[in-house]
Amino acid sequence: MNVLEQTWKWFADPASWTGAGGIWSRLVEHLGYSGLVLLIAAVIALPVGVLVGHRRSGGNVVVGVAGALRALPTLGLLTLFALWIGLGLTAPVLALVLLAIAPLLTGAYAGVSAVDPVVVDAARAQGLTEWQILTRVELPVAVPVIFGGIRNATLQVIATVTIMAYIDLGGLGRFLIDGLAVRDYSRMVASMILAAALALVLDAVLAGAQKLLSSPGLSKED
Amino acid sequence: MPETAATAIEFAGVTKRYESAVAVEDLDLAIPAGLITTFVGPSGCGKTTSLRMINRMVEATEGTILIQGEDNRDRPAHELRRSMGYVMQQAGLMPHRTVADNIATVPRLKGASRADGRARALELMDTVGLDRKLAKRYPAQLSGGQAQRVGVARALAADSPILLMDEPFSAVDPVVRTDLQNELVRLHEQLERTIVFVTHDIDEAVALGHRIAVFGEGGRIAQFGTPEEILRAPADDFVASFVGRDRGLRRLTFASGQELPMHPLEGGTASGLERPWAPWELLLDDAARPAGWRFGEREVTGGTLFTPGGSLREALDAVLSSPSGWGVAVDDAGRAAGLIASDDVMAAAGRERRSRYGVGE
Amino acid sequence: MGNLSTVGHLTWLHLLQSVLPVVLGTLISIPIARFAAGRRARGAGGRRGAGRVRRGVVVNAAALLYTVPSLALFVLLPLILGTSITSLTNVIVALTLYVVAMMVRSCVDAFESVSPEVLDAGTAMGYRPLRAFFGIELPLSVPVMAAGLRVALVSNISMVSVGAVIGIQSLGTLFTDGLRRDLMAEIVVGILATVVLALVLDRLVTWSAAALTRWQVRA
Repeated sequence: MNVLEQTWKWFADPASWTGAGGIWSRLVEHLGYSGLVLLIAAVIALPVGVLVGHRRSGGNVVVGVAGALRALPTLGLLTLFALWIGLGLTAPVLALVLLAIAPLLTGAYAGVSAVDPVVVDAARAQGLTEWQILTRVELPVAVPVIFGGIRNATLQVIATVTIMAYIDLGGLGRFLIDGLAVRDYSRMVASMILAAALALVLDAVLAGAQKLLSSPGLSKED
Repeated sequence: MPETAATAIEFAGVTKRYESAVAVEDLDLAIPAGLITTFVGPSGCGKTTSLRMINRMVEATEGTILIQGEDNRDRPAHELRRSMGYVMQQAGLMPHRTVADNIATVPRLKGASRADGRARALELMDTVGLDRKLAKRYPAQLSGGQAQRVGVARALAADSPILLMDEPFSAVDPVVRTDLQNELVRLHEQLERTIVFVTHDIDEAVALGHRIAVFGEGGRIAQFGTPEEILRAPADDFVASFVGRDRGLRRLTFASGQELPMHPLEGGTASGLERPWAPWELLLDDAARPAGWRFGEREVTGGTLFTPGGSLREALDAVLSSPSGWGVAVDDAGRAAGLIASDDVMAAAGRERRSRYGVGE
Repeated sequence: MGNLSTVGHLTWLHLLQSVLPVVLGTLISIPIARFAAGRRARGAGGRRGAGRVRRGVVVNAAALLYTVPSLALFVLLPLILGTSITSLTNVIVALTLYVVAMMVRSCVDAFESVSPEVLDAGTAMGYRPLRAFFGIELPLSVPVMAAGLRVALVSNISMVSVGAVIGIQSLGTLFTDGLRRDLMAEIVVGILATVVLALVLDRLVTWSAAALTRWQVRA
């Protein structure tokens, strides 16, 4: 109970929240890194996934690439790039982008390719261009699955950004690494509670956005 | 076919109620042994629920169901189910088992050895007309008709006097369906099981059933009887409308065409009289089988044929489809035997109608 | 030689931490998912209200557990288990929870992918529930379950190395050690070993699944 009490005390202390190393600024850093990583990964992965899904061929390549990316240990890439490129933002962002691509790519591909071919055929028969088919039929129908990929990528990135502190960057992982260095378990616990809470809140926000963007006609019972 | 058959399955005051609706209400029905009884009706009329209450896939809310005089709740449900064959829509084959293993399912459940099960499966494949080479295939490698035959073979493997069939042929194309229906009739003659067959297709019900139970709205039986009775005298407007617009025509299926006068092929030429079908001329091939009609220089394909023992419906169709308006009758070998006049068919239909209502000429 | 035996030892630790949780997590997920999966047998009146709620609760609970970062589980679980952060028990329990979070959904999907007609046919022929589960339902859910298992396994192998940041020994140790000693080669060896491990185990799952689903032949 000692640990939890200390953790609580740390949370209750206003000094923990403010200042350059405070919770608020670490939170902003964490969100900033995550947002940057997700943005870059989305720009790369989503168009490719959507396009392959639309063409309905090359799916094996997408699944293979995603599988290979998933097998790459992010911490390994992070440390490798850090030695290679040097400390700074580039190395960890690169490593995390590779992490985020797999769920985004598979989500976009699975979502679009799962659209009923009969529906697409009907759209084509009515004279829609390929671009119109993509934007007016396939993407709206694929929204829930694509969003599933985005949520999954977000969760993984939020979780993994914590280890950026390991190479002397900020983010909520800072408290973990600092706590570890001075054997302050309560600080580590606090850090992880924050990371878990952030993941929870972000996932809820994305779930809300997903609901808002999905046509009510698509909602399945679950 | 035995006319006064013993009762195989008896529903006594059976009701099935779900929270919101009554699926079957106070059903009393005696299903005769050794015959095919069809349950027919619109969707949601309780015909499938009634079938599924027989082997307790659905438990009745009230009433009893007797199987050969025994309450079907007297033994554990799984034993009851193993004791009767069940064929379902889409065959319901186990996709992870080979054809032979699928057919041997019930014998294996009852404790037969792998070898015995396999031997029995091969025998049954012969019975239902499946090539033994298919034994090691998986269901995904079969055509719809083959899969349905495997379904029938699997049900026969239960080796029980009772076979339950739930819209078994509704998912296959019409040509294959007719094949499977004929096959079922043949199997029934050979094996003499009691078959309960659910269908929503009145034509199928009439073609297969020795007895038909027409289910109406709200899970009640609107009429139970032989196909002739139901087509001749629908019990009420519901049955009449369900049996359909063609029921007058369908009824002719049960009127024999044997009494129809047969006009000789040669007409009256020998005695100097004209052939009444002139200027049309019937063409025959080398084996004296009908090969079409000729009108002047034109040769036209012939119509349907009237076969020995055929019904008035067949005779009427032969007349209506013939270019000359004269139906061609053939013998068992397919050789042209004579011609039928449309007036004679209409007269026979009129006599049949009058005799039905007991009104003299 | 010393390096080689170190890599061997770390590979063994990594293997233990990635395989054991996947096996345990799957075994735990199967009964949970079977309990939650929607039954759609005919005549049962479709999916009933209570069943839907049950499915929703289980699937959402799994999704919620999945949102917790694995590193957080490593750090927070000792509060409940009373172990040290770096103890093998703690790591195995944390990763097992994580696998459960992923596999419950896959297993629910897997059970729901089994055709209700086939289950119905089984019942109609007199299968009893236990035999129907092991004889029909489980084998038929293998394809979907295996797909989920592959993702869980490969993700888990990558995740295990993260533990090195807080001192849990695995191939990830090569990364932290390599960074500290400025040894790029050590990191590359670690990455290669992890990828090879993932590929080999993934192949193993694929092959086993293929052997179990030879019935999935194209017509």
